[in-house]
Amino acid sequence: MDFDALLLSRLQFAFTIAFHIIFPSFTIGLASYLAVLEGLWLTTRNEAFKTLYLFWIKIFALSFGMGVVSGVVMSYQLGTNWSVFSAVASPVIGPLFAYEVLTAFFLEASFLGVMLFGWKKVGPGLHFAATTLVAVGTVISAFWIIAANSWMQYPEGFTTLADGTLRATDFWQVVFTRTFPERLTHMLLAAYLTTALEVGGASAWRLLRNAADPESRIALRMAIGMFAIVAPLQLFVGDLSGKEVMEVQPAKLAAIEAFWETRTEQPFHVAAWPDRAIEGNRWELSIPRLGSWITAGDAQAEVKGLKDFPPEDRPPVAIVFWAFRVMVGLGVAMIGLGAWGVWLIWRSGGPERHPLYLRAAILMSPMGFVAVIAGWIVAEVGRQPWVITGVLRTRDAVSPIGAGEVSASLLAFMVVYAIVFSVGVLYILRLIAEGPRPVPAQDTEPPLKPRPPGYALGAAPDDPEGGPR
Amino acid sequence: MPAIIEPPPGPQEPLPPLWKRLAWFVGLAVAASGATLIVAYGLRALLK
Repeated sequence: MDFDALLLSRLQFAFTIAFHIIFPSFTIGLASYLAVLEGLWLTTRNEAFKTLYLFWIKIFALSFGMGVVSGVVMSYQLGTNWSVFSAVASPVIGPLFAYEVLTAFFLEASFLGVMLFGWKKVGPGLHFAATTLVAVGTVISAFWIIAANSWMQYPEGFTTLADGTLRATDFWQVVFTRTFPERLTHMLLAAYLTTALEVGGASAWRLLRNAADPESRIALRMAIGMFAIVAPLQLFVGDLSGKEVMEVQPAKLAAIEAFWETRTEQPFHVAAWPDRAIEGNRWELSIPRLGSWITAGDAQAEVKGLKDFPPEDRPPVAIVFWAFRVMVGLGVAMIGLGAWGVWLIWRSGGPERHPLYLRAAILMSPMGFVAVIAGWIVAEVGRQPWVITGVLRTRDAVSPIGAGEVSASLLAFMVVYAIVFSVGVLYILRLIAEGPRPVPAQDTEPPLKPRPPGYALGAAPDDPEGGPR
Repeated sequence: MPAIIEPPPGPQEPLPPLWKRLAWFVGLAVAASGATLIVAYGLRALLK
């Protein structure tokens, strides 16, 4: 095993997961959005909700398919590139992935069929049940995947056997690790925000062309409601998660904040250039004492710096520091977008009359994905040099393969993903640009019966309101 | 060409009887699960 194969394997995993995470983070939120739309249509019979449902379900089906395809690649890579990790840890976290397939994926896959092909066949009530079950399935899927990842961040409920492999001693402790509740909540809220930004951006795009479009007006207001409620909640949950990180992964927190010295009254670095070579920041723009207050809730609190940890146990600092700032900066922008939108609804007749707001919503529409990827960089690069914190180092987890083999597969992934996902994403963007269209009458009603020869009203015109057919 | 994604029944359109709707619900769910099973076991067989 040489270093190049390790680095290439890490790059390959990072590349494939960065693609994959886009789709589940969208479909988790979109499935719930579809359930809300269908529920609202059933209770109010407002046709706009049905039109929106039929529009977004197409995008959901495409995104779900691409999420499944890109997710299968992830599990294969655990065997091909990370076989030592699989051999060591699969007795503990293998069942979590298996339960994800058995409980979540099958639930989603089963009722997606009803959702797509069965509305007339099963009727509105059972169809709504199917949509709700798919939405529940996406949440259960996130539950198991975040449980596995949280265990890798802070492993509990296991023992190490003489041969170096791990065994679970307490299954529920493996599932419900200390950081799991905050991390699951953080991920789900991120998914809901990502979807709200997409829905809001797509609606804003159409409202710029037609400010009276009824479906887009409703969808944009629903998205603004989500920004206004979920974005501040996300900030709160993220803060709780950060405080857990300080307790269980202090080196990661020190990298997030570019703290090098252990001290009280840590400053908050708004921007900095952390450099591991000099064990410090080459330059920094800081606010005194705010770092201790944000991380520990007390401006006088002592917070550990990176120099408290041996150099071989420190994560890369600059990438974690900047990824965190991108994530938080976008989160603050989402809060601003929500507050601005609520103000426009409340005081100035609606956001659809304000092109500047609509353009801002369009600009923000991909930022949920950027924030999710930045968040995963913080979580995964911040855990380095460990693949399982304190148990297995990343360099020891890689398969005994050569750099040439990994280079070939990485190149193949890049080419195939560039083609397959470009086509998929372009098609989704085209659908979004077309926008929701009210369902034509011929699609919702049975076809007209042919008139028999000699029928008395054979020459009468068709009357969709119930006249002769 | 009929829509691939089935829209809801129209307001005047009569619904099939309950037993038929339940049968479609279970049938579609089982068929979708079956399709997933075939793909999953097919992929696993490729590994052996």
